[in-house]
Amino acid sequence: MKKDEWIGGIVIFLFGAITALLSLKMPIGTFRMAGTGMFPLCLGILLMILSGIFVLNIFSKGKKNRVKKGSSIESSSPIQSVLFLVTMVLITLLFNPLGYPLSAFLLMAVLLRVLGAKKWTTTLPLSFVTAAICYFLFVQWLKIPLPKGWIGL
Amino acid sequence: MFESFQHLATGFGIATTIQNLLYCLIGAIVGTLVGVLPGLGPIAGIALLIPATFGLNPTSAIIMLAGIYYGAMYGGSTTSILLNVPGETASVITCIDGYQMAQKGRAGPALAMCAIGSFIAGSIGIFGLVFLAPPLAEAALAFGPPEYFSLMVFAFIVLSNVTGTSLVKSLMMAVIGLIIGTIGLDPVTGDARFTFGSIPLLSGIEFVAVAIGLFGIGEVLTNVNQPLEMLEQKVLIPRLRELYPSFQDLKRSIGAILRGAGIGFGVGLVPGPAPVIATYASYMTERKISKHPEEFGKGAIEGVAGPESANNSACQSAFIPLFVLGIPFAPPTAILLGALLIHGVSPGPLMISNHPQLFWGVIASMYIGNFILLILNLPFVPLFANILRIPKKILLPLVILFCITGMFTVNNSVFDIWIMLLFGGLGFLMRKWAFEGAPLLLALVLGPKLEVAFRQSLMISHGNFGVFINRPISMAFLIGMLLFLILPIFWKLFKKTEKGGGGSSKQ
Repeated sequence: MKKDEWIGGIVIFLFGAITALLSLKMPIGTFRMAGTGMFPLCLGILLMILSGIFVLNIFSKGKKNRVKKGSSIESSSPIQSVLFLVTMVLITLLFNPLGYPLSAFLLMAVLLRVLGAKKWTTTLPLSFVTAAICYFLFVQWLKIPLPKGWIGL
Repeated sequence: MFESFQHLATGFGIATTIQNLLYCLIGAIVGTLVGVLPGLGPIAGIALLIPATFGLNPTSAIIMLAGIYYGAMYGGSTTSILLNVPGETASVITCIDGYQMAQKGRAGPALAMCAIGSFIAGSIGIFGLVFLAPPLAEAALAFGPPEYFSLMVFAFIVLSNVTGTSLVKSLMMAVIGLIIGTIGLDPVTGDARFTFGSIPLLSGIEFVAVAIGLFGIGEVLTNVNQPLEMLEQKVLIPRLRELYPSFQDLKRSIGAILRGAGIGFGVGLVPGPAPVIATYASYMTERKISKHPEEFGKGAIEGVAGPESANNSACQSAFIPLFVLGIPFAPPTAILLGALLIHGVSPGPLMISNHPQLFWGVIASMYIGNFILLILNLPFVPLFANILRIPKKILLPLVILFCITGMFTVNNSVFDIWIMLLFGGLGFLMRKWAFEGAPLLLALVLGPKLEVAFRQSLMISHGNFGVFINRPISMAFLIGMLLFLILPIFWKLFKKTEKGGGGSSKQ
């Protein structure tokens, strides 16, 4: 187990607690005639128990865990993953107004730069070609109704 | 038996139409590509291609998606042998001897033996599927809600026990999947749950979004976080004339292939990541019975042929619980269940009688698909291996673009992309904290079925939980589940006492 796994355990415990609390606001019913909230309530309680066991287990084995090294994900900085995720969030926000071809082009260009492509002379043509291929594949050939955006393609 | 042959002949009639042959070919090619590319597994591959099947009839759609599944199993071995990087988890074991063979200049025979073994074992698996599925479907008619509930709980426990590093962690993931599955309309009363006034949430969380998020986006986010040079290695691509194995290679491998096929078929019928377990079991068996166990780990061809055969056989038999019980025992078949439901087909004991064209058509297409894959994987291996030369910094943004495009096309909804991104971030954190995504996905797909079975069982029994142990089939599943939970603990205790005893006798 990795040393910061307990954070995950606590988050899951809170998720179980919130589920149980929200379920209590729904009709619970009886076991014979279970209401809407019965099943999620049972699951919320079960999740709290399991995550409680998990967190306690981590703390009881605390000394052992501290000796173990983290994975490569832990040891390296997650900056590129965060940049990837932020780019995807921004593109999703602009997906409808920009339209599919432009969103695809921007997504490719930014992600290529994030991954270390240094020259715009390679990034831009590559992004353009990829976006164009995807546009013809999905919109023209497969006839999938993707957002047209202000450029109207 | 004769009846099964007749149905299979009808199935071949359906599978050999130009349209279905084309979709089978597309599925096999895409599957091989998915298997070859490290980081994209069959789950993400199938999930990404589901939207492309919306315009097809259910039979063609499932033929293509099933092709991706077993195609990925074929393709996964290529990177294991050439790069020592498994294309998907079931190919991990192939790295051991496959890569060693490649280092000795024998990549060609290793790749060829993978393709031949996969073809033979896949065909044996399909043969078993043809003859076992109909009688099992008849037996499954005796299942009521308590039996289904116990079977699903059994499946969760077994899957959680065999995936990941900790049973508790895997169970937590399964329960989270079940909770996410409760979002939307209550399947019994129709009341809204956890929707917070959102209309898109009324139809529940789109499982394709969860699958692509956890297994596609999550994998990419994990990969970009690693040094680029990690996957940008030089690829040694064998030439066509180097591909064919010698008579000695074939002679050494045939036993391993047949044993692998048997092991794989049996393991595929049990809940869990069948191909992964089957490859380990086959490798251990081969090493144990080999006259030259010292060669294992240094390039023994049996260590490649056996596990790869087991892998493909397990894939075929995994279709039995999906088609016959309507309950997938592994994540890729869970995705296929979702695809079947999208196409209006509800798998279960009545599937063979209600949708014979689909059932027998898909099975016949598997024979054809296996043959296509053999043809694709022998002479075209160098071509597929060339894909590995695409730089990772181009491949990863491309995968993201396909994920976003594919996700939007499911419901033409940006909301689904948000859900996918949410689960992508979650998938990244889960990898960071070593939580398994497979139990979550399986639970999400099975959640509504489990809840209905649970509530119906208690309605039948007037709230008496004894209904789950009073019925013999249900009780058998629960006993099996308890054994699965208790036996490892006893085994550990036994080992401890044995060690302690050994230690004291030495002193």
